[in-house]
Parts: sequence; C-alpha cells; structure tokens
Amino acid sequence: MSRPLLMTLISATAVAVIALAATPSFAAPKVTLTYQVDANWLKEGERTLAKKFEEQTGIAIDFQIVPSDQYFNVLKTKLNSGEATDLFGGQSGVTDLKLNYNVAKNAVDLTDEPWAKLEDPLVASQSTVDGKLYGLTYWDTLGYVWVVNYNKAIFKQYGLTPPTTYAEFKTLSQKLLDNGIQPLYEPISDGWHHVLWFPELGPRFEQVTPGLAAELNANKAKFADNPTMLTDLTQLKEIYDLGFFGQNALSDTFADRTKAMSDGKIAMFMAQSAFPQDLHHDYPNINADDFGAFVMPLADNQMLNINPAGPTHFIYSGSQHIAEAKQYLDFLTQPENLQAYLDSEPQFFTLPFPGIKSKFTPELQAFMDAHKDARGVVYQTEVNYVNPQWMDIGKDLTAMLTGQQTPAEVLANVDKRRGELAEAAKDPAWTK
Amino acid sequence: MQNVGIRYPLYFAIPALLLYGMFYIVPSLGGIAYAFTDWSSYSDEVNFVGLKNFIKLFSPGEHYLGYFWNTFLFTLVTIILKTIFGLGLALLLNEGVKRFVNVYRVLIYIPAVLPFIVVGLIFRSILNPATGLLNTFLRAIGLNAVAMQWLVDPRIALYSVIFVDTWKGVGYIMVILLAGLQTIPRDYYEAAEMDGANAWWQFRYVTVPLLMPAIMIVTVLNVLYGIRVFDIVYAMTNGGPGYATEVLQTGIFKAFSQGQYGLGTALNSVLFVILIAAGYGVIRLLDPKPVGE
Repeated sequence: MSRPLLMTLISATAVAVIALAATPSFAAPKVTLTYQVDANWLKEGERTLAKKFEEQTGIAIDFQIVPSDQYFNVLKTKLNSGEATDLFGGQSGVTDLKLNYNVAKNAVDLTDEPWAKLEDPLVASQSTVDGKLYGLTYWDTLGYVWVVNYNKAIFKQYGLTPPTTYAEFKTLSQKLLDNGIQPLYEPISDGWHHVLWFPELGPRFEQVTPGLAAELNANKAKFADNPTMLTDLTQLKEIYDLGFFGQNALSDTFADRTKAMSDGKIAMFMAQSAFPQDLHHDYPNINADDFGAFVMPLADNQMLNINPAGPTHFIYSGSQHIAEAKQYLDFLTQPENLQAYLDSEPQFFTLPFPGIKSKFTPELQAFMDAHKDARGVVYQTEVNYVNPQWMDIGKDLTAMLTGQQTPAEVLANVDKRRGELAEAAKDPAWTK
Repeated sequence: MQNVGIRYPLYFAIPALLLYGMFYIVPSLGGIAYAFTDWSSYSDEVNFVGLKNFIKLFSPGEHYLGYFWNTFLFTLVTIILKTIFGLGLALLLNEGVKRFVNVYRVLIYIPAVLPFIVVGLIFRSILNPATGLLNTFLRAIGLNAVAMQWLVDPRIALYSVIFVDTWKGVGYIMVILLAGLQTIPRDYYEAAEMDGANAWWQFRYVTVPLLMPAIMIVTVLNVLYGIRVFDIVYAMTNGGPGYATEVLQTGIFKAFSQGQYGLGTALNSVLFVILIAAGYGVIRLLDPKPVGE
C-alpha cells in the first residue's frame, strides 16, 4: 500500500472515530427514573415540574400510573417480588409504612436530605419510622379535609340549612329526593371513597369514647364493641337503602365527580374541602363559592376530621438510581417549585413546607376557624392496622350496602384483620 | 421391523427427569410446604403453623368458601354455554352456511385473540348501568325493566362476567369442534340417511359419538380454564361488588399482593389438587372404554 493512501486511510479512520464518539450512542446513557403512582395522586403540576427537571438535569421521569382500585395490590406485588420502580407513591402513616411498604427494607432513608428539616413536623412524623424519615409528603394534608360539599342554590331553593345531626341530614336528603334531586354523589366503584364515611369519623368516636384510639392500639378495645361505630355503619347503610346515593352509586367513579356535580341535579358530595375549586377549574361557569361545606353528620358528628397523612413519594431501596431520585425530591421541594405546584393545583390550599403563599378562601378559613376547638385526627392514622386494610374495608362496606354482610360483621372483620396484621407484625399488644 | 421390542436404558431419561424435577417438582413441593407456614412479607421469620391456613380457607367466617363456589359456578356454566354455542356455530359453519364461511369463522374467532384487559374495559363501558350501550339500547326500545345493574348487582354480576367470557371463548371452542366435525366422513351420514335416520338421529347417533374426542378436549380445556379463571374477572369486576365475583385465582393474587404468602400458597395448593382431580376425572368420564374389556 502506498504511503499517501495509508495516510489517507488513517486520517479517515480517525475522523470516523471522532465523529462516532460524538454521537449520542457513544455518550453516557440517559437516566430515566420510573415512578409508580396512583392515578389520583399524580397532579398536572408534578408532570410540569418533571419536564422542567428533565430540561435542567437530563434525568427523565417515567410515570407509571395505576388505577386506584388496583394500586396497592400492584405496588405490594412489585415490592414483594423485588421489582418496584425507582420511586413509588404511597400513603403515609406509620402503620402503613411498616406493614404496607416495609420501608425499613424497601425504602431509602431520607432523614439527611436538605428538605427533611423543613417539612411540617406533624406531617413528617407520619413518614417516620424508628426516627428515620422515609418519604416526602407532596400533598396538602393540612388544608385538605374531607367534608360534605353542598350546592348552596339547591339548599336555598328547598329552604335547607346544613344539618347538625343525622336526623336533620336524613330529613333534608329525603326532601331533596322527593323533589327529584339526588341527595348525594357516592362513587363506590373505586372501592376507597365510601370507606371515608367510617374511619374519618374517628374524632367523633373519640369524643363519645375518650381514649378509644389508645385502647384499640393497646388491644384493649374492639371495633365490634363500639356502639358509635355500629351507629355510623347502620346509618351509612340506611342512606344507601333510602336511595340518597342515587341508583348508580356502585358504578359511579371518583373521576366523574365534577361532571356529576356540574349540572345541579345532585345536591351534595363528600369530598376534600377544595372540591369547589376543583369544580370551578373543570367548569369555569361554576364559582367555588356556589358550594358550602359541613362535616360528615353520621353518628351525629360535629367534629372536623384532620389527617396529617397523605400521598407520599418514596425511593425504592433496590433502585439503581438512588442519587438521581434524591435529586428529584430535592428539586420538588425548592421554594419556587413548591409554589408553582401549589398554584397549579386547584384542590390544594397549602403545602407542608414553610415560605409558601397559601390559598385558603375566606369561607374555608371561616369554616376551619369555626371548628378550631372541635377537631381530631382520623382513625386510619390514629389507630394502627386500619389504613393497610382500607380496600378490604371497602369490599366489606360494599357487601354491607348490597346486603351480603351486616354492619356488625363489617366491624368484626376489621377486628379480625387488625389481629392478623398485628400478629404478623409481632405487635407485643397482640402476641403477649 | 428390527426396532420393535427394543427397550432403551432408564438412564436415558435422567437428564429430562433432573430438569423436570429441579424446575417443576421441587418448586411445586416447596410451594405446598410453605402452605403449612405463616410466611408473610411482614416478618422475616417463617414458622410452621400446621393446618392453620387450610382451616382459615374452609372456615365459614371467611369469604373463601364463596370463592370456591363462584369458581365452581363459573366453570360449570361456561362449560355448558361454550360447548353448546361452540357446537351450534361449528355445525352451522360446517353444514348450514354456504357463503362467506371463512369470514364468519374469522368474525367468531376474533374475540378469542383480543386481550382480556381490552375486553374487560369495553364491556365495563357497555354494561355501565347508567351510561352503558346495553342499557341505553334497552331503554330506547322500552325495555326499562330489563335494563339491569349488570356488573354491580351482586346477584347477577357473576353471570355478566360468565356471559362476556362465553362471548370471548366460544370462537376458540368452535374452531376445535369444527375441526372435529370435518373429520367425520360423509359416508356415515349417507348410510344413516338410507337407513331412514332423520337429522336429529344423525346428530345423536353419528355426529356426537364421532365428535366425542373433540368434545373431551374442549371439556378438559374448559374445566382447566374455568378453575383457573383470573383475567376476565380481574378486568371486569376485580372480584366485586363486595366479594360477589371473587374466584380462587383472584383470592390467590390478593393474598400474595398483601404479603400473606403462607395463605396464598395454601390456596394455590388447594387449587392444584382440584385441577388434578378435575382434569383426571373429566378424562376418565369422557374417555370411551375399549370394547371387549
């Protein structure tokens, strides 16, 4: 081979190698974090932030969205089989963290993350096990209370006022039904929403039987022995049987809530306090102050139900990208990103971090103020082994509503599952 | 032939037996062994608990007896419906229909290749009591009384699932029976006709006996499918409303997903025994005994 030809070949090869090295296929592989999340927990604001995060860092977020009724089955199957996503969504609450997610094994300790010290202590305590913080609660747990939202115009038309007892609630609902108005929208098909009528009344159970939560946690009391709980479930069954939830409650879905409440044919919906804002967001012709709120009136409840636990981000301990996942959580908690997330989400009034501008309306502020001395923590958070069986309670309640079980059997089943969970967790209150 | 009567040495089977034992027998026995423990995701300890898991499965206070009943009902009704409709369609396409036969075959078979999740979602929409296509149609023609709560009334939800499963599976059964029908020589029918047999007698005394091998195959397939049914129930009702459509496999899935491995393996072991007993029983029942024995 002649010398010029050899030189030409060497030069061409060098150019080709440099050109190939510069192409993406030779660059470091792009990181994509997988994140399994319940369909109802992923807000548009987080999608927007995820895109911004990708633009800034090159790390993409692949949201793996699972419908609510199958969420925990899928999540726990993946965790138990060691195939979870890099990040996974879960409901905070100490018993959930231990039993549902086994965080000590499946999640990464986030105690030393820069945002950990800033998170509201009451909220952070729900993601903390043995002094270690395992999750970032990216949700409005403090202003987000489940109340009965009512259409003020319908109430005014029929001369109704917010009830303070179950009897008043039943009478006004019957009056609405007699006038061709469906009293309540209740999406039972999702399997979780109708459960709220029960453990969310924890403050009422506690008011009637002071110290009940502590007794239940010490295995010195049973759900089945509590008359207030039995009254709550019996009344829930009664309002279903009277047709207050409409004819299609068993197939109604939470996703259709704003559509269902938009045409003024249904008077009430038990939902988060920000539901009117949610409705206004989807139907701008409806103003948020067209709706008012009162606490769930079953068992004559007048206590406001606070739940410091909520949807939370966890990092899977088996992830190959723990550092990048931590980077994502840090990004989410930057002040400007928290504010952007809050501003983009009509359901939220505040977030559990300092330095952000909250969005409480004067009416909601007044409602919260009116209950500032009559509030308590809900039982799915206050009582151990209740939240992990949420969907089971949902099945039992559906069976109760459709006549396959009695209210007393539902309570007995709750006790039975609590016993099983406690024994499996080697809880000394059960195993001694 | 020279090879007749030659017996190969037993050690020829050793590699296959080893592989089969290692990857099938040992895990299966291991699974059954775990059914006698409290193995769960909540604790690293695994303790022997005797028959506790099995006692729970068969205790009247639990829902599992309902799962067994639903599985039995699903299996029985789908076998009957799929076999009757499959045979009817196969007879039509074999003899009744003369034009576009292949088009009909494809149309009837299409549901069998659709994914369960797609079928589940489509029928959840069609059977929605308020907005579904079926009830909208029934109301439009004045049949309000027939417009029922298909998937949410616990009394009829399982039958709705059975109907959809039959719709989906009948094409597959039809194809097997059609293949069976096409193996029956025409001569038999001509001979029967000459002997004065009418259509029903021809069906009863020629078609059915000669189709028995195919009917046995579809029955075994239907029994094994019915006992192991999962996808269609999961996609359509997820076992609801309440526990009205829970079957064995959804129970196993839920036990495992809740980390109750001991209970899940116990349920799986019971299913395993039922499958063996049912499969063997059906084959013995339908297999014609050799004449002269």
